[in-house]
Amino acid sequence: LLRGSCARAAVAAASFSQSLDSDFTFTLPAGRKECFYQTMRKDASLEIEYQVLDGAGLDVDFSLYSPSGNMLIADYRKSDGVHTVETEDGDYMFCFDNTFSAVSEKIIFFELILDNMEDLEGGDPDWKEYVHGTDMLDMKLEDIMDTINSVKARLGKSLQIQTVLRAFEARDRNLQESNYERVNLWSCTNLIVMVVVSGVQVYLLRSLFDDKRKSRT
Amino acid sequence: MYITRSCLTQILMFRRALYFHIGETEKKCFIEEIPDETMVIGKYRTQLWDKQTGSFLPSTPGLGMHVEIKDPDTKIVLSRQYGSDGRFTFTSHTPGEHQICLHSNSTKMALFAGGKLRVHLDIQVGEHTNNYPEIAAKDKLTELQLRVRQLLDQVDQIQKEQNYQRYREERFRMTSESTNQRVLWWSITQTLILLVTGVWQMRHLKSFFEAKKLV
Repeated sequence: LLRGSCARAAVAAASFSQSLDSDFTFTLPAGRKECFYQTMRKDASLEIEYQVLDGAGLDVDFSLYSPSGNMLIADYRKSDGVHTVETEDGDYMFCFDNTFSAVSEKIIFFELILDNMEDLEGGDPDWKEYVHGTDMLDMKLEDIMDTINSVKARLGKSLQIQTVLRAFEARDRNLQESNYERVNLWSCTNLIVMVVVSGVQVYLLRSLFDDKRKSRT
Repeated sequence: MYITRSCLTQILMFRRALYFHIGETEKKCFIEEIPDETMVIGKYRTQLWDKQTGSFLPSTPGLGMHVEIKDPDTKIVLSRQYGSDGRFTFTSHTPGEHQICLHSNSTKMALFAGGKLRVHLDIQVGEHTNNYPEIAAKDKLTELQLRVRQLLDQVDQIQKEQNYQRYREERFRMTSESTNQRVLWWSITQTLILLVTGVWQMRHLKSFFEAKKLV
């Protein structure tokens, strides 16, 4: 009895919503390949979305391998991508490859959305274990619960969309800031080069004529 | 009973958590861009490759991870050693990109011995950090009240994120406008400099040739 209620409670605590998602942003150094693994179960679905937020060409190689080692998805030099796979039991591996770039490190954002991952009996979240007292309404409670569940699902979706928008905005902002630095650098360089070239031109011409004079006399 | 429940939750959470391999001296860093006054809880679990059994051992006593967290101004917020399983928490006081870095503290080469360390990681941000069973027990909430509280927390998080988004867009707009202005002014200045330099060169050379009696 204890184990059953523990399990139900754990499922409830860990999965108030049907789909679980996590996102990570990390730095991929130049010339490196980084791999991550996710344990999946049969008949669930794995959705992965990634974006390159910063770093030179804003592109990266992406690959997804099944637990048996087959390459399911391979993207080459893409800036962002989204893929969904129906999964089987095992550990899925996905890799971000920056070996084509020797100098620039990339900042990569990826989001994993797992569906149908409840793996214990009692898929219906039951929080009655640790609530205190009962609600006075009885008949209409079910309707209220349904509405609340649907509101919760929509809010969850809003949060997800916010995460994606944040990633887009971060990428645009990084792009702009690197543009800004580039403009500064090349403007200064341009100024120095122009002044130096102008001076050198005048000096060369003058020295040309001075030598001629000396050779004449 | 409560302890068993939270233990089971931990294991479940890690069964669906991401994992990756880390070398001995390797440092893995993750960036979390968060608004201010947001709580972040990170949990990790390590496993060591055992050559004899050809599999990953459940836990490795004596092998810890060093966790270092920097705020957007690259000031260190947290820098601590944890054991082979660890849980770290921090609350942001400035909005921006916080960096969470992990590296193993193993000094004995024998522990790794050419193998790799498997790290299961789970980072929860904002309203995901709330422990609802605990809140229900503390405030003595009914089921309906608990669910409404959860919705309120979610909406609160969304609103905080939107405020932060507004601040970021403002910064973005300022950078864009500044770049635009600089490009414009620099183009005008460059054209003027070229013209002035050209005119000066012609006049100087002309007077020079005249002085040398070549023209």
